Amino acid sequence: MAPPAKAITSPVPDAWYPTLAVLMLAIGLVLTASFFIYEATSSKRNRSLAKELTTGGVASVFLGFGSLFLLLSAGVYV
Amino acid sequence: MEARIRARVTLALTLFALLFFVSRSSPPRQFVISDAKRRIDLSSHIINVHLTLKVENAGTRPASEVVLALTPTEVDHLAMVDALAIKGKRKKTTSVRLEVKPTELPDAPPIDAKYFTIYLANPLNSGESTTLEVLYVFTHFLEPFPEEIAQSESQLVFYHDTALILSPYHIKQQTTFIKTPSTKVESFIRVEPTNRVGTEIKYGPYEDRPPYSISPIHVHFENNSPFAVVEELVQEIEISHWGNIQVTEHYTVVHAGARHKGVFSRVDYQSRQFSNGASSFRHLLARLPPRVHSVYYRDEIGNISSSHLRTNSLKNGRRSIALCVLNARCIDYSIANVVSSFMIMHLHLNVAFAIIPVEASRSWKLSHVILYLEVVLPEGSTDPSPVVPFPVEHRLEAKYSSLDVVGRTVVVLEKKIFVPMHNSHFQSQTLELKILEIGFDENNHLRCLSFVDSLPDTIVPAKIFSLLMLSRQTHIKTIYQLCRMLFLHRWCLVERATFFNLVSFNLPPLWQVYYTFKPIFMLAEPLMLASAFFMFFVACVAYIHIDLSIRK
Repeated sequence: MAPPAKAITSPVPDAWYPTLAVLMLAIGLVLTASFFIYEATSSKRNRSLAKELTTGGVASVFLGFGSLFLLLSAGVYV
Repeated sequence: MEARIRARVTLALTLFALLFFVSRSSPPRQFVISDAKRRIDLSSHIINVHLTLKVENAGTRPASEVVLALTPTEVDHLAMVDALAIKGKRKKTTSVRLEVKPTELPDAPPIDAKYFTIYLANPLNSGESTTLEVLYVFTHFLEPFPEEIAQSESQLVFYHDTALILSPYHIKQQTTFIKTPSTKVESFIRVEPTNRVGTEIKYGPYEDRPPYSISPIHVHFENNSPFAVVEELVQEIEISHWGNIQVTEHYTVVHAGARHKGVFSRVDYQSRQFSNGASSFRHLLARLPPRVHSVYYRDEIGNISSSHLRTNSLKNGRRSIALCVLNARCIDYSIANVVSSFMIMHLHLNVAFAIIPVEASRSWKLSHVILYLEVVLPEGSTDPSPVVPFPVEHRLEAKYSSLDVVGRTVVVLEKKIFVPMHNSHFQSQTLELKILEIGFDENNHLRCLSFVDSLPDTIVPAKIFSLLMLSRQTHIKTIYQLCRMLFLHRWCLVERATFFNLVSFNLPPLWQVYYTFKPIFMLAEPLMLASAFFMFFVACVAYIHIDLSIRK
């Protein structure tokens, strides 16, 4: 008899999907807010491209994952 | 170039010669059937014919191919053919499933018939005999006559067959038993000796009939079982490795019995249920796997409000969910499109999975004219390969679903004429097992009993239960575990290191589709979303830096 089947589950336990969605979206939105605040309050001289891009990048990663978990918790299993 | 062609031609010729000799190795006249018993069960619109043949090798050479014959009309309606070899006597019988394939007989037989060859596991030596059990399943074979009936009439159908079993071999003794669902038989043709007792008509025993002898008969009887036929079933299974399998089924159901004439009176139908609409079907029952949620049933009009989802709970906390659609249908052709969908969480996903399609209610069975099973694999999966125990046509399609870039591979399996017997293949009475574990307690036995109550009757444990009854010494903990796994994980995706080969237990092989999928592809979706957001931020940065101003 073949060895009994091993189960595969999602890498993230699905009880966590809504919590993760909310958390990640919250962090992402906070970072987005800080990005825009930085843009608004800095003048042309002390603006740093690196800082803008990193804030934008990290914010987009969090927003991306957050929206993925939002979709998963809503039932659209992508 | 020319040498190659010549080589190919010679190879082809040698192959042909070999085939010619091989096909000649077991001519049909070699076997003699010493005893044939045929039991025809006409209780529902799906006809089961059990044929028990005792085949003797009357030739001089060992042979391993036995040929079965069927008339062309029968072959058109044939849903499946199954053969088992029975060994042992009386209580201790073991059976081995044999391969059956359609063939052509090279020597011209006197009648127009279609042939199937059964390949025996071991060649039969001269003078030896073996017992074979063959199961034929026919659909759409009963002709309603009269073709139109009123609401209060019962349905009468014709069954055409032969009293003598059609066979290319000489049959020394044969008997046919026909079982009708009720004792009301309008007429039947007698071919002496014929006897009718209650619901059973016995034709025979007939002695010493030459090959290809037939004797047409018909039986005109009452059959009030609902002729539920699913004209088309499209079952779409969408797999996501985030932990979900979504199943959507589209049914087109038709009552294929006698047509309804006159008016349909709902009052009569509901007040006098037994005399009115005796052959109608009132509900469709679907047994769903456990841990299923978000189930809905829809019609062309909308939600079927008379549908009802129940759960059965078993002793150890596992649940099965039964959905019952209570919808009174009249005898007329009623076509319903039922769309059911349910999503299953928490299943064991993996590279291969097993499905058993189609549910039926307890008392009657649905037969399918055509069944499409579409398996939508996650994006990025490669090498899909279906493994199905009976012949299906398969093809690949692409489907674009949410957040898809490349499209998902869809494996479409198409099966014409599917009957519930396909799910539970003609089972052996005992299982040839290599039992690994010891320990058979009363609790397990009882649990299996409760499984049998709540499982669809097409699933294995009905036979496991019979195994329990037959041989209590056999230690069945392993089967119980398997049975539990089958039951629970009817929709499960299981990993395979090697073939998850249930055939070694003579259990019904389940439909399986194997594919490879690298889990890293699951990251594709969030990264796609993240990059979309990043584009937005880059656009903001670019806008700020470029500093477009209309007015300086």
